[in-house]
Amino acid sequence: MTMRRRMFLGLAAGTTLAGCGYRSVDAEYSQPPGAVPAKYGNRVRVVFWTSYGGANGKAVDKLVAKFNDSQQDVYVEVQFQGSYDDVAQKVAAALVAKQAPDLAILSDVTWERFFLNDALEPLNSYFTDGFGPAVFQQKLFGEYVVKGQSWAVPFARSTPILYYNKDAFAKAGLPDRAPRTWSELRSWGPELSKVQSGGRSLRTLALAKVDGDWQFQGNVWQFGGAYSKGLDVTIDQDGAVAAGEWQRQMVHVDKLAYMAHSPSTDFANGLVAMMQESTGGLKSMTSKAKFPVGAGFIPSEVASGLATGGGGIGMMRNISTERKQAAATFLTFLALPENSAFWTTQTGYLPVVNAARENPDLKKLIAEQPNFGVAIAQLTNARQQDAIRLYGRNANVAIYTGLQQIYADNTAVKKVFGSVAKRLEAIGDEVKRLYEEKVL
Amino acid sequence: MTALDLPVRTHPDERVLAGDADNHRRRRRRREYGLFALLVAPNLIVIAVFAYWPIIYNAFLSLTDWNMIAARPTFVGLANYTRTLSDPAFHKTLWITIVFTGLIVVGSLVIGLALAFLFNLPLKGRGAVRTMAFAPHVLSGAAVATIWAFMFDPGYGLLRALIEPLGAEPPDWMNSSDWALPGLVIVYLWKNVGFAALIYLAGLQGLPKDLDEAAAIDGANTWTRFWAIKLPLLAPITFFLLITTVIGTFQAFDVIAVMTGGGPGDATTTLSWSIYNEGFKAFNAGRAATLSIIMFVILLVVTTVQARVMERRVHYR
Repeated sequence: MTMRRRMFLGLAAGTTLAGCGYRSVDAEYSQPPGAVPAKYGNRVRVVFWTSYGGANGKAVDKLVAKFNDSQQDVYVEVQFQGSYDDVAQKVAAALVAKQAPDLAILSDVTWERFFLNDALEPLNSYFTDGFGPAVFQQKLFGEYVVKGQSWAVPFARSTPILYYNKDAFAKAGLPDRAPRTWSELRSWGPELSKVQSGGRSLRTLALAKVDGDWQFQGNVWQFGGAYSKGLDVTIDQDGAVAAGEWQRQMVHVDKLAYMAHSPSTDFANGLVAMMQESTGGLKSMTSKAKFPVGAGFIPSEVASGLATGGGGIGMMRNISTERKQAAATFLTFLALPENSAFWTTQTGYLPVVNAARENPDLKKLIAEQPNFGVAIAQLTNARQQDAIRLYGRNANVAIYTGLQQIYADNTAVKKVFGSVAKRLEAIGDEVKRLYEEKVL
Repeated sequence: MTALDLPVRTHPDERVLAGDADNHRRRRRRREYGLFALLVAPNLIVIAVFAYWPIIYNAFLSLTDWNMIAARPTFVGLANYTRTLSDPAFHKTLWITIVFTGLIVVGSLVIGLALAFLFNLPLKGRGAVRTMAFAPHVLSGAAVATIWAFMFDPGYGLLRALIEPLGAEPPDWMNSSDWALPGLVIVYLWKNVGFAALIYLAGLQGLPKDLDEAAAIDGANTWTRFWAIKLPLLAPITFFLLITTVIGTFQAFDVIAVMTGGGPGDATTTLSWSIYNEGFKAFNAGRAATLSIIMFVILLVVTTVQARVMERRVHYR
């Protein structure tokens, strides 16, 4: 009796409240507001939410301006929304408010949640000769393909690369290249410590306080482990623990590495000799640093292998057919080799279009500044991340807060990863049903 | 038919008059209610839409499992509550929140009171000092956090320049589980004491002088006069500051978000940060709503208890 009453009350409350919101999978939602310049007045407007600021943001603006001037039917409006996380939050909030951008930048760990919950438009039907599987770099394109259907296309895709300070290396008497293995990197530490910077001895390696779990994904593979096999968590097993233990010793035994609030700020200011950072920051780092910046492959150890990352573009499902077609026109434009190459030369991100590699501007840039070719050459070692980080909501946060405990408190790696594994298992359980239904 | 069944007889005119007065009164009352409704409506509607409705909706969400993208929340009853209340991570968060709030509340009141006494002395330039002490209170939390993040930085921070000449190694404030929380407490105190001092100062200046003078004549020393007269007289001020600081600190978010992000590990994960983390990073609307309700209940209880306890002690007039 009470159970029934409770259920009734729950349902009643539920239906009353449900009346006020939630997304309906097939409804057409309005566009976020904005102003259309008079000269583009009679076109179909496409709203594109991005997360690129600074030099990268300017490059997006240039591409979009070029698109708007290249044809007469579509007007794309860029709306910068903050970080990858910010874009994801705002898209989710917009959908609840029955509003939808047409295109949005979704990161390596956010597009999956929109895909699993039917918020993305499947893209296969928009593919043409100039926009489709044959055009894009196979690996990067394939990461968005589930059961033969594409749910986003690669755009600002990256791998981490090893940045090093060439001046510091010269002062320490080291060769002008990135270390080949983590052991070699460690053995260079004492030499680098003799170099003075900002009144103290130079540190060897900066480890990111936030989001360092992306770089660490590759490190785990390099030490022979994995975050998970499918959704089965393995971060508390040998290889992953070895990678964590190597970093723990670098920080607390050798005192060569440290946790940095912003590795790239410290690196640009010459406080640290090396860091693992996205190739997408190459252009701005090159102009920010007051010393020649070196770049090389991420070191290997017992194995090589590193994680791809960065942003792709998803099309929202809750928009009109007209807007979808218009949005697809813009995606087709971005898939032109010269546009993909332009993006790479302006940022450092990978060329996601195969033919972009033959672009003369890009070839010239790589000849002059070989750093821009590092990630491209390294791509053969790159692969898609372990499923738990991709599909488990906040799995990344669980992992990097675990890493913080190792970096900050010298907590035993086995213990930290043991409790991280428990959290990851709980996170995995949350998405298991949808993952098995839609991905496997 | 007996006389008893007869209606009470009144003069027809009287009856009309009475009915008229009734109607009149009723009409007037109705009009007053109408006016009342009209006057409170704008505020009531705004409060209902932006305060009460979200609370009710939040309570509903706490009974669901919803990732904010799925078309429908799933009703799960009290599962979120049982799971949260039995989660060791939640217990730790609660403990951190209590320590954090306690330190800031006690610190704000004690330092604020001391400053208020200082500002009350006829010293040169006290106007400027008062303004400077109060200024941090009106600064945006994000800006304050950015400045302090720089000051705390062990590599190029201001505190390094202060601590190193003393021969000590500055702690890596925000990157150490032992120092991150004290660091945050320092920042919030810096931001809050000016406000507490200002309110205390107003209280001090409003104190009746006769009691103090009488005590002085009777030979009470400064300390006794502070302890036995001024402090009790300031009790209503203390009470006000206690409640506002507890509520404000419990909900502190901005500085934590910019400076530590709840870390390192979970060393500075307070209740408000974990609500954000569950809600807007993990998209677990149900669990974030549950944490919000728990926070709401805690604050309600704390405020009620404080009000009850203080009711008996506060009044001196």
